[in-house]
Amino acid sequence: MIRLNAVVKQYGLNPVLRGVDLAVEQGEFVTLVGPNGAGKSTLLSIIATLLRPSSGEVTVGGWRLPEQAARVRRHIGLVSHHSLLYRDLTAAENLAFFARLYRLDDADDRVAGALRQVGLLARQRDPVGTFSRGMIQRLTIARATLHEPDVLLLDEPYTGLDQEATALLDDLLRAETARGRTILMITHDLAHGLGLADRLAILYGGRIARETKRDDINPAAVYDLYTDVTMGE
Amino acid sequence: MNEFWAAVWAVVWKDLQIEGRTRQTVSVMVMFSLATIIMFNFALGMAVNVNLSAGRDVAPALFWAIVLLAAILGLNRSLALDRENQVFDALLIAPIPRTALYVGKVISVTLFTLLLDAILVVLFTVFFNQPFYLPVVLLVVVLGTVGYVIVGVLITSMTIQSRTREVLLPVLLLPVSLPLVLPAAMATATYIASAMSGEASWALVQAPVLLVIAYDLLMLGVGLFAYQFVVES
Repeated sequence: MIRLNAVVKQYGLNPVLRGVDLAVEQGEFVTLVGPNGAGKSTLLSIIATLLRPSSGEVTVGGWRLPEQAARVRRHIGLVSHHSLLYRDLTAAENLAFFARLYRLDDADDRVAGALRQVGLLARQRDPVGTFSRGMIQRLTIARATLHEPDVLLLDEPYTGLDQEATALLDDLLRAETARGRTILMITHDLAHGLGLADRLAILYGGRIARETKRDDINPAAVYDLYTDVTMGE
Repeated sequence: MNEFWAAVWAVVWKDLQIEGRTRQTVSVMVMFSLATIIMFNFALGMAVNVNLSAGRDVAPALFWAIVLLAAILGLNRSLALDRENQVFDALLIAPIPRTALYVGKVISVTLFTLLLDAILVVLFTVFFNQPFYLPVVLLVVVLGTVGYVIVGVLITSMTIQSRTREVLLPVLLLPVSLPLVLPAAMATATYIASAMSGEASWALVQAPVLLVIAYDLLMLGVGLFAYQFVVES
């Protein structure tokens, strides 16, 4: 579903990505971890069509980026630690706005269904600015999945969440996985990263330094693996 | 084409919803305009009728100066809304032509500024006792406002991410809008003066009005072409 081949991204003379190779299969949940400045968000922005790679090949669903970005956009949903929501609009108004942008049929039903799914139907008429961080993140998931994307991109979705909100987000992501969505998640949280994912990839030095399947590693050993990679073994 | 206008309408309706709820854009522009008019009234000695004719002579120029400066406040406020919580990223990954975002924002900011224009027309008619309500003057005001917002949205999109955007926007926008403002102010002053002497004629303002229309069309073309590159950078 997602293929990256020798992807390089430079800002001026400063290379952030130095040749990333990564493949995420349809329905797979891959977690990408790495230290600050490793280029995780840059990589996600390239896949989300927000940035152009300096060189290399990127395809999503078989469409090449950036040439076929317009086709890819309908098939991706983005969740980041920013809500990507208007704080002055209500929960329902925010989702209705994005339903219009995606030209969704039966938008009202979809909006109500999405709000029900994330447990915010009772708060649909409240402005987002009055929501807690956890509620905002649930609404963010609803926004990102409103158009039923094939690929869900998550950029540090756990930032600022308390334990209860984290557990709720875990449940929502499990539900998305069960629906067969392809998910690529960036996180600093190794425990969550491995707990939900089928595969863990470590981005370090602008490249994928290590990949491992969840079944191939003892959860207790994931910290050692990460430390080995990022501290130079 | 329907897809394009559906996206434009979605953007406009969203901006109107937010403004309807917060009233932050138009109210800021109106408060600034009121303060400026009152300040100039005192500065010109009109408050004590020391030099009433001086106030009348500068009224058209003052009208346009206030519109230009107040619109800068509106542009900054309106475009900053889309940058809060990184909502603009969600707009950029939506499957819509990016020019629809530009046209939608031009329409909504134009509506806000035209509302300000309407208030200013009344205030200037009352405070300066000049016929700003004449149809030809209103036509010039509408055409000048549309052109100013067309170029304003484009330049604000470039400066909005800058920490110095409040300074950068007027520094870039005012010189670029000079070819618009000169004929617009000239047409306004000429027509009002001729109307007050009973010699109003379309022929007197035809040339500057055509210049304003030409500027509007030229800048609309530039905006539609350049916007996608501006937002991608």
